[in-house]
Amino acid sequence: MTRWLLLRLCWLVVTLLGITAVTFVVLDRAPVDRAEIEAAARAGSGTLTAPGSRDAAVLRLRVRYGLVDPVTLEPAPLWQRYTSWLGNALSLRFAGPNEDPAAFWRRFTRALPVTLLIGGLALLLAFGFGVPLGAWSGMRAGTRADRAVSAGTFVLAGVPEFLLATLLLLGFGGAFLQWLPSAGLQSRGAEALSWWARLADSAAHLVLPVAVMASAPLVLVTRFVRDAVARAAAAPFAHNLRALGLDPRLQRRRLLRNALAPVATLVGSLLPMLVGGSIVVENMFSLEGLGRLAFTAVVQQDQAMLMAMVVLTSLVTLLALIASDLLHAIADPRVRLGR
Amino acid sequence: MTVRWRLLRWSAVLFVLVGLLAPFLANDVPLVARVHGTWSFPAVADCFGQSTAGPDDLSWKRWWARLPADAEDFAVMPPWPYGPLETDATRFRAGPSVAHPLGNDDTGRCVLARLVHGAGTAVRIGGAAVLLAGLVGTLLGALAGRRRGLVDFLVQRLIEVFLCFPSLLFLLFATAFFGSSSLGLVLVMAALFWTSFARIVRGELLSLRERDFVLVARGLGVSEWRILTRHLLPQVRSQIGVTAAFCLAAAIVAESTLSFLGLGAGGPSSWGEMLRQGSTAAAMGAWHLWVFPTVAIVAVVAGCHAFADRLRGER
Repeated sequence: MTRWLLLRLCWLVVTLLGITAVTFVVLDRAPVDRAEIEAAARAGSGTLTAPGSRDAAVLRLRVRYGLVDPVTLEPAPLWQRYTSWLGNALSLRFAGPNEDPAAFWRRFTRALPVTLLIGGLALLLAFGFGVPLGAWSGMRAGTRADRAVSAGTFVLAGVPEFLLATLLLLGFGGAFLQWLPSAGLQSRGAEALSWWARLADSAAHLVLPVAVMASAPLVLVTRFVRDAVARAAAAPFAHNLRALGLDPRLQRRRLLRNALAPVATLVGSLLPMLVGGSIVVENMFSLEGLGRLAFTAVVQQDQAMLMAMVVLTSLVTLLALIASDLLHAIADPRVRLGR
Repeated sequence: MTVRWRLLRWSAVLFVLVGLLAPFLANDVPLVARVHGTWSFPAVADCFGQSTAGPDDLSWKRWWARLPADAEDFAVMPPWPYGPLETDATRFRAGPSVAHPLGNDDTGRCVLARLVHGAGTAVRIGGAAVLLAGLVGTLLGALAGRRRGLVDFLVQRLIEVFLCFPSLLFLLFATAFFGSSSLGLVLVMAALFWTSFARIVRGELLSLRERDFVLVARGLGVSEWRILTRHLLPQVRSQIGVTAAFCLAAAIVAESTLSFLGLGAGGPSSWGEMLRQGSTAAAMGAWHLWVFPTVAIVAVVAGCHAFADRLRGER
């Protein structure tokens, strides 16, 4: 067990290196010259006046960004830039050379709780509804109720997140019914309200984004549980239980224990989904979370922030994969960890 | 062969055909024209991104309208004679009518023509991404499944790296940084999707490899490559089909999501771009601007899923 965990953690580091290397190379291929952009911005703001000094300023910026070698003034090779980024990242310096690290972390730590709140609620919703619904319809595999649930998940799977968000916003957030607020986490002036009113206000703001975020995981969980339960119900041991004349409630418990153990492995595939979802949802509902931060970083071509985002999201995904395997082994004693 | 399956198959064929032939189905330039005695094919030129300007410094439709009745020159318009970018000030945001059954958008562009060209974008980008991903993924998966040891190990690690990529984030910055070229988008999507093919093919080959028919073929002196292409891959065909259908749906969703966020590579005629416009126009009562693209996206994505389900059931 410990050996397995250590091995997995080693592979996590290797995979993370691979992911960051690929991202670094891709970002590096981008036809964006940060030094030129910065120099142009300075020239525009008047900090840079003499026309001859522009080239020198660009060169200075290149040195500062690590784009050229400070001694020979030759363009630095890619691996050298990657290792220097890696060195900074290992000491948790993700901010770009032009940015105050404290401000960088503040942006991060301010965005994190918003995403955690929405993502956590969405996961709760997906599992809270998906597992019972899937189990219920899996027990009745082939009946009309089961087919109705399948049809429902089928339609929901066909609606992309941005489309669902648009439809819900149109339906409830303004165009037709003005039931729910469509942007932000709080109404303006919510600080003046009482504690309960503020909670209700926040809850109303959360309904639509959480519903959109939960849709894709809900479909996945419901289908997964339904198939697993249906398979278990058709398995020989289920017939055996029935033939023994066991109390139906006990039968159900045996079945579910068997079928639900692999659900734990789902967590690993749900997290990347939530990351993608949060970009769309936070953008459309004007929530200042990590997804919004990533989107602004993309629009402003902020490479330092993007690298930090990729490290964070893939680290979380990799950890979740390990955690889901562990959970699976705990829930199902037949599963042995190790290769 | 049930009715539903037949319906599904024919609609898939129809979707692909409409997508591929979009410039010839709905366009404001003629398919064939004879101007001053010379032949030209403006719609074909449109396909290759060449200039489609009409003769005599007029637009094609003006030129057609001014043509005297007894002229030698002529033009054959596409069945739906409106282009996706053709604006008309007289029909700003006009609702559905006989001439434009799906209505017109904010700048008087025909929604039906835009939908047809949106299908073209979806088929071209999604299809190319899935084809490329399928090719690369199948090859690498087959390589890993056939030869165990180092190759298998390396491919598996590579799969792991690409599997944990935050795909939408990656797509976002790839399109934002590389401008809106559809080739770049296709490459990035293929880079994200090939893992599903590789995993499926690798897993299947691992279980097929030990079967007797492979041993027999090898004993008869059949080459490894031939065993792979003639004996092994045909057995994995339906699984590759299932994966391809899911990936096509994912690619179409990704493309329209990017367009919706304003970073699309699909150009102005993408369903996501139409929805972006439609969602702002909805408050002004222009329901036809969001209903039709919504229906198109949901129908195609659900259709892909149904196709995949059906293929899986057939196995």
